[in-house]
Amino acid sequence: MKNETHKQNIIEVIEGGPLKISGSVNLQDQKRGINSNANEVYLCRCGRSANKPYCDGSHKESDK
Amino acid sequence: MEKENEYTSRNERAYKNDEITVYWKPSACIHASSCYRELIEVFDPGSRPWVNMKGASVERIIETVNLCPTEALTWKWNDESKNKQVGAGHTNHIKYKRPELYNVKPATSSDTPLTIKIMPDGPAIVEGSYILKNSEGESKIVNSISSFCRCGKSSTSPFCDGDHRTNGFSG
Repeated sequence: MKNETHKQNIIEVIEGGPLKISGSVNLQDQKRGINSNANEVYLCRCGRSANKPYCDGSHKESDK
Repeated sequence: MEKENEYTSRNERAYKNDEITVYWKPSACIHASSCYRELIEVFDPGSRPWVNMKGASVERIIETVNLCPTEALTWKWNDESKNKQVGAGHTNHIKYKRPELYNVKPATSSDTPLTIKIMPDGPAIVEGSYILKNSEGESKIVNSISSFCRCGKSSTSPFCDGDHRTNGFSG
């Protein structure tokens, strides 16, 4: 038995906001040289984040 | 003599050169965009037909078709005897379609990590098992490859519809 907690992968589409991804996540972004493991990430869905691929809250100003 | 853009069925087309045939199944496309980013000389969505089998070497075309994360693009040798020798390394050979698309396990939305690939100026491609939730609290279990819109303009949000290609999205 592994003593890891049993993690369920969940992707939540937040209305007017980012994609919340939780569980066991491997994120790869060649353009920015990212290859990281995380338990939770918030990905930009509006296209306006200055910190892509992550959400930086810019969607609040977007006219979505 | 040489046939191009030949229909194989209602939902699939075939493009040939002297050595290989590339199959295009639009219904399976998730707009990962790796084909035209990698090899616009062959895969140009702005041209008709959009696949130009003379645009690059056979090797380059095979390499690029193998990058397609779904079965939207597959290929085979025209010489059937060569097809028998193709190994599983050619994930998008017509005989070696990606196993993750076929070995879908039921409802164990756990264990394996989700792989998320951020496509340059394109969507986020998610592979693995997960529960998809929306803001109404509805949820469903997904065990496949899907692509999520990052440009904010998709008409099939939260999924990608390919709009990023023409709306100038950079990111």
